[in-house]
This record gives sequence, C-alpha cells and structure tokens, in this order.
Amino acid sequence: MKLIELTKIPKVYGAGIATPDGFVVESQFVVGHNAEKSAAMAAQIMKRIRNSLDAVESTVIIYTTKSVFLLKETQDGIYYIVCQKDANLGLVKIKVDKIK
Amino acid sequence: MSDELAIDSGALIFATLADVYLSSGMYDEAISILKDGLSRNPNYALAKVILGRAYYLKGDVGEAVKILEEVYAQAKDSENTVLHLGHCYRKLGDNERAIQFYETVLKINSGNKEAAQELQSLKAGPAASVVEAESKEAESAPMAKPVEVPAAEKAEVEKPVEVPAAEKAEVEKPVEVLAAEKAEVEEPVEALAVGIPSSASAVDTLFAPAESTAVFPLERLNEPMLKLLNLKTVKGALICSRDGLPIMNYYPKITNLEELCAFIAAIHNESQNALHFIEEGDIDRFIIEKSNETICVIPVGESLLTVITKPEAKPGLIFVYARKIIDDIREILG
Repeated sequence: MKLIELTKIPKVYGAGIATPDGFVVESQFVVGHNAEKSAAMAAQIMKRIRNSLDAVESTVIIYTTKSVFLLKETQDGIYYIVCQKDANLGLVKIKVDKIK
Repeated sequence: MSDELAIDSGALIFATLADVYLSSGMYDEAISILKDGLSRNPNYALAKVILGRAYYLKGDVGEAVKILEEVYAQAKDSENTVLHLGHCYRKLGDNERAIQFYETVLKINSGNKEAAQELQSLKAGPAASVVEAESKEAESAPMAKPVEVPAAEKAEVEKPVEVPAAEKAEVEKPVEVLAAEKAEVEEPVEALAVGIPSSASAVDTLFAPAESTAVFPLERLNEPMLKLLNLKTVKGALICSRDGLPIMNYYPKITNLEELCAFIAAIHNESQNALHFIEEGDIDRFIIEKSNETICVIPVGESLLTVITKPEAKPGLIFVYARKIIDDIREILG
C-alpha cells in the first residue's frame, strides 16, 4: 500500500521492504526487476553498514553504472527503492520519510 | 607501507614507497620495487623518473640517463625529467648537454632555483674544471675512498639549507679541500655513492622538499582538497586503497583512521559484490547518511575517496568539488 506512493514517482523502477535477513515483506516492481535479489542485496549492505559504522537507521544511496539504489533502514524493515540514474532522488527520500 | 604494497600489488603506491626508500638511502630496495611496479604499469612516467633518480643516486648514471631519456622522449615538458637529465649529464662530465637541459628546465619553469644554481655553477666552468683536475690528482687517494656517514649525520647534511663554510669543512673532512675552492673542486660522484650532497651542487637534493621544485605526488591534491575542506559542512576527507589501507588523510580529528578506511573499503567491496550478483554494474559512488554525519565515497581507480560531512551537508555540492580531486587522484594513483 505504502509503496505505491514511491512507485508513482517518475523513473522509479520499483520499491520494496525487506527484513534484516533479506526476505521480501512487500514489493512493487516493474517487470524485469527481481525484487528478491534487490531485497537480499539491501539487507546485506545494511548489515555491513550497521556492523561497521554502528549506524542505526541509516540511509544509503548507491549510484551504479546502471541505476540508483536508495536503502533506508526503519523499524518496519529496510526500504529499498530502485530508480533510473536521473530520477529525482530528493523526492524519493521525502516520500520514504513520509511513509515510514 | 610495504605491507600495503604486498597486498595491493596493482596499486601505483609503489612509486611513493620507492621515494621513501630513496630518501632513506635504500637505493637497491627502491630500484627493486620500481622495476616490479613498472612491469605491471609500464606507462607510469613518474615511477620511471624516480627509477632514473634511484640509479643516479646509486651511481649508475648510464642507466639513469637511459631511463630518463626514454621518459623525456615521451614528455619533453616534464620539469623533473629534464632537471634530472641535466644532473646526470653534469655528473658524466658532459657539461654542454647539462647546460642545455638546465636551460630547458628554466624555459619550462623560470623559477626553478635548482636549475638556475646548477647553470650558474656550470657557466662559471673552465676555471672550475682546471681546479677540479688539479684537485683530483692531489686528492685522489681520499677521494676514491667512499665516506661512510652515519644516517643521522647524513640527514643533517641533506638539509637543504645554506651550510656555513666551517660546518661544511667538518662534514666533508675526508676530502680535505679548501672551503673557498670546494664549490668548484668537488666531484659529486663519491659523495653520491654515500648520499652526501655536494656543497656547490644541488644535485643530491633531488626531490628534497624545501629546495627542489619537485613535489611529492599526492601533495598535488592538497590544493583541490583544501577547497573541498573549506566547505563549512565538510568535516574531513581521506583516501584509501580498495583493500582498506590509508593513503592520505585530510581528517585531522579522526582517531581511528585505519579502522574507518577498512570499514569503508569493506562496505564498498561488499556492496560491489552484491550489485554484481544482481547484475547492476559497478558502483559509481555511494552515500551513507548516519544520524551524526554523512559519508560520501567515490571509487577512483584503485582508491576510494571518502568525504565525511555534517548531516546537513549537500551531497550534490560535495560531488561537484570531489570531481576535481578525482581527476588528480586518477592521474597520480591510477
């Protein structure tokens, strides 16, 4: 339900919520994107950051050569949003903060 | 640093390590790692220049010339290369070519004091040569014997400051030459063999930070880095290798530099693996927003540039400034 708000944003491929161990709680992705793989990746990265930097409920933005990932750890779980490189990440962040 | 080199054999840090070895008088070690590094990065011109200098300091001027000429053929406007070639030819006694090279240095950089000084002393030439020849004959025995100088004494001698005549005489006692004539008389070969600078020549102060115009490679980053650090929201920055070893630190307040570098590299590598797993390509950059600070990491070749900012910082602005530094890092470290 909440995720629809995120996927409405232009150039967002999809969004999901994952448990800290990488299982998908909820997801909404366009065809061609694997929500489970992204959830696993999100959990792995957040776990590493939590362990290494003692960062609680941190936000991570990863720019890759193909797309941009926004990961946010909340009490609900880990939000992960996959966007095109030129998506409005500021807007995505605001939406995530609103729905969390 | 040698551990770092062992772990990350692909990095171009070997040139920096070699420079450290050279300043410690460890010429063979420097040559060894430079040769090894150049076998993997044959186009790394700076390393070749340092190798040339290493051979020069070791006394193998012929090899030094061979290497430096090779670099010179590719980059005729390289101030350091031309300067060192001047030194080499001077040492080989080919004063005419030495003068040509020193003049070229001054064309590239008219403020190069070292070249100006060498040129001046060479142009005072013929008299010097006569005195030199006479002196060599008279002092041949002591000159032929290399002078053993303790490291501490060497360090003191190598300070690029003006040494009073009396002090010079003490340092160069075995040569027993009148202080007034020394400038012209001294043959730098023997002095070089043990790393003692000649009083008249600045030949041995190659790469000496205070007098030479040569700059430690990463020091070139200071200027762009300063602009970045001048941003109010930037707390500091650091450069580490992809395997987590610190290269440069611009975050003076940091207490656990090695730990932070290791963590940043671990996060980067793990994220990279995860992204490869989902076929999302390579990391371009990433931002970690914590409650008390934001960490921006940008992979540059074999290194990671990390900028630590206050939470309210604007990452877009940080990346704009960082882009200028990235080019320099890429050029220096590959």
